[in-house]
Formats: sequence, structure tokens, C-alpha cells
Amino acid sequence: MADLTLNAVGKKCPMPVLMTKKELKKMSSGQTLELIVDDKGALKDVPALINKTGDMISETKVDGEQITFMIQKA
Amino acid sequence: MAETINYIVKDKSFEKFAMMMLLGTTADAMDIKSNFFFTFWGLNLLKKGYKPKVAGMPFPMKGMAAGMFKKRMAKFGIEDPWGMIKEAIENGNMKLYPCQMTMDLMKIKAEDIIDIAEAPVGAAAFLEMSADGKIVSL
Repeated sequence: MADLTLNAVGKKCPMPVLMTKKELKKMSSGQTLELIVDDKGALKDVPALINKTGDMISETKVDGEQITFMIQKA
Repeated sequence: MAETINYIVKDKSFEKFAMMMLLGTTADAMDIKSNFFFTFWGLNLLKKGYKPKVAGMPFPMKGMAAGMFKKRMAKFGIEDPWGMIKEAIENGNMKLYPCQMTMDLMKIKAEDIIDIAEAPVGAAAFLEMSADGKIVSL
């Protein structure tokens, strides 16, 4: 179960990345963010961001157009 | 040391503006520093009140296309591009440098340049800040 959910459906590059970063800034260590997007680019862009921030993607689910990431704040 | 990417912006088009905005704000989110050096026609993008047009459109549609793209981008969530740039600047990760020589060449005064830009620099200063990073020409 995620501590927070960010719905970025309809948003395109670079918004999912910028919105995710903003949300992560507000979170404390160990908390989990559920990110829902439908931007195809996010499949590569969100891992690129998380790789830089040092947080962790624990799960990636692709369901049709919709992509759900579970991100754990480091 | 934080990673830095340095960009030369030499055109005044909507396309170049959008690339600058997208790359600079995304880099900010990724804690990558960006220095943008606005030279020749690119300096127009830093002039107060300047509205970039779409270079890739045929002549009569350039301005209209910019309005259309802006509306579409707003639907994607990019509602306030300059506000996003301002935030990246405030985070200390994005810097906009006017080219001093272009200012002199085109008789552009310091007061014509938007307030969030840095003080103008010359080629040597830009190359010095880029020495340990990459330079990309937009």
C-alpha cells in the first residue's frame, strides 16, 4: 500500500518527471509513492529520474496505456 | 561535483525556447546543472515581452502555430513555461546567460533583458564554466 498517490494521467514530458520529483521532495525516507501515468516516454524517463535521485522503483505495472510505478523514497 | 551540461542557444524560435525549457527544468529535477548561453538570434528569447514563433511552419502560420503549440502543451501540463524555468533557476540548477558581444552587436540594453537572466558573459567566461562539462548547441 502506497503512502501517497500521484495521478499524472494526461501529462506529457517533462511533467510526470517534474511532478514526481516535487512529490518525492515532500516525502520522508521509507515512504512509498504510487505514480500513475499514461505518457509512453515515462517508461524510460521515470527510471532515469529515480536513478539520479537515488530512490527506488519497487514495482512497474503496465496495463494498456496506463503505467503504475511504486517508488520508495531513500 | 554536480554534473553540468552547457548549451549554446543561437535561434529565437519557439522550438528552441521549448527545448531550453524542457531540458533545463528536467535537468533541475535530476539535479543536473544547466548553463544556457544565448547568442546571436537566440538572445531574443531573453528579451522582455518577446514572443517566439514556430520556425518550422510556413511564413504566415509561424505566430499562429506558436499559440496552438502553447495551448496543446498547456493540456500536457506545461501551463506556465517561464514559471517552471524560474523555479529551476531558484533551485540553483539552471542559469541563463546573455552573450555580451551579441548585446553590443545588436544594441540590446541590459534593461531589455528579463530579470531572471544572469549578467551577460563573453565567450571566454562561457568556455571556462563549460570546461569540465559538455557543450551542446541548440
